[in-house]
Amino acid sequence: MNATKRQNSLLLALLFCLPIVAFVHLYVGQIELTFTDYLDSIFSFDSQNTKHLIVRELRLPRMAMGIMAGAGLSIAGLLMQTLFNNPLAGPYILGINSGSSLFVALTLMTGIPFFTSDFGMIANSLIGAFLFGTIILFFSTVVRMQISLLLIGLMLGSFTAAIVAMIQTASDAQDLKMFTLWALGSLQKVELIQLPLIIAVFAIGLFGALLAVKPLNILVLGETEARLLGVNVRRVRLFIILITALITGLITAFCGPIAFVGLAIPNLVRILFKSQNHRILILSSTIIGAIFILICDISIQFMEPYLIVPINALTSIVGAPFVILLVLKRLR
Amino acid sequence: MIVTKGLHIGYKSSIAEVQDIKLDAGVYILIGKNGSGKSTLLKTIAGQLDSIQGAIEINGKEIKSIRKSNLPKLISFVGSKFPDVDFLKVVDYIALGRSPHNDFFGRKTARDAEVIDQAIDTLQIQDLKNRFTSQLSDGERQLAAIAQALTQETSIIILDEPTAFLDYLNKKIVLENLIKISAKFNKCILLSSHDIDLSIDAQRPFLVVRKDTNTIELLAAETSKNTIVSIAF
Repeated sequence: MNATKRQNSLLLALLFCLPIVAFVHLYVGQIELTFTDYLDSIFSFDSQNTKHLIVRELRLPRMAMGIMAGAGLSIAGLLMQTLFNNPLAGPYILGINSGSSLFVALTLMTGIPFFTSDFGMIANSLIGAFLFGTIILFFSTVVRMQISLLLIGLMLGSFTAAIVAMIQTASDAQDLKMFTLWALGSLQKVELIQLPLIIAVFAIGLFGALLAVKPLNILVLGETEARLLGVNVRRVRLFIILITALITGLITAFCGPIAFVGLAIPNLVRILFKSQNHRILILSSTIIGAIFILICDISIQFMEPYLIVPINALTSIVGAPFVILLVLKRLR
Repeated sequence: MIVTKGLHIGYKSSIAEVQDIKLDAGVYILIGKNGSGKSTLLKTIAGQLDSIQGAIEINGKEIKSIRKSNLPKLISFVGSKFPDVDFLKVVDYIALGRSPHNDFFGRKTARDAEVIDQAIDTLQIQDLKNRFTSQLSDGERQLAAIAQALTQETSIIILDEPTAFLDYLNKKIVLENLIKISAKFNKCILLSSHDIDLSIDAQRPFLVVRKDTNTIELLAAETSKNTIVSIAF
């Protein structure tokens, strides 16, 4: 009971931290804004007012996107780690992002009509994520060793990177620039108008993950044990891949590929909470993931006058050493 | 509790034939060479593997007609490999045995807590409760796994080599616990083992895989060691 109490107060403390970090995030940037600017821009919006425009077009969407990107990728990583029984699994390393990248590259740089339809990038990113999720799912049923699946994921990444490079060399300068900027990762491309859709899809993903708490808790024991305890493993697998592809595809479409968040945060959460209860793991991954991305983005904005750092670069700089540490400590 | 009729087991083709048997409450020890089909038999009776031919009745019901989600309420299975997981408390691990009885969200009732406590008491592992499973010794892991199977409240418990990897004392403890559980809760417990001497000491009926014909038959508890060895090895 004592441990549960500790977990709950930790969760509560994190829940308290998130709005504070989000608040700080809203206030950083080259132009100083006051609290009234925020209120006015929402309740009495004036399109001639630059400050209002900054809030509506830049800061609010950027903050909201940051929260959902961090939270979403962390949830996706957690689900994949449990599903594949592999603490080093994640949407990036297993190539789910690569699927999105490939399809986004096709959208942005080729004239194929199917790929540039109305839904365009988002739909294609989702299709790519789901397609590659299914490929990984297939391989997961064939390979036995944990490391094999990671290697297959990496190969999938290299393979698509090669195809993307070929598309890049064949595309014109304008398209190429657009894709390159997308691939660097950014929270800035979202507009206020798009937020409701993103929030809705994100909410479906989070809700779906919470629906799977019971089978996830059993899957921790491995698929054989889960089957023995009455889990319909095949159905659960498909459901989890659907959710992770939905979340990853959505976030990748808007922010570009963001590495390591999905891999590192769930591990950090397990170490912090010392638990395998997915109700707690999902909720705390959501909050810690969001806080992590916001802090990254705050640092990026502080560095901006001296150095432009894309979000994908920063998460890798922080995330990669953490993962190496993890490997040294746990998997040696 | 378990009745077989004309049963042939195997993965793609029959590797062993089971003489018609009827297992009631009690402990049964399955003995045979490596690769003779012991695990295959246990998996087939547990409903994890389809039989090649013949019928298995669990509590009077043909196993194929039992819904997959109901099977874990009738049979619990303790595998030979203990899951290697970090940050999983023993009590939480044991509690997962209740999941076939829990609702969609896996919520625990007062009754669940009672059953879990009783399982822990039966195996006398109160002091392991709040440890992580990754910190347990092989013997302790086996007791935890049996406790989990107990919380499923099934009339049948099947164990695949529960005494492998254990030292003599732990082998004895595990076997004694199984005998105690079978008597106390009136369960049918079927386990495979390589420990002939220990199994003979236990004085329980044997299921033996005959080495020459690969038929599996039931032998009385009084069967001598020499007879068993000559049939099986």
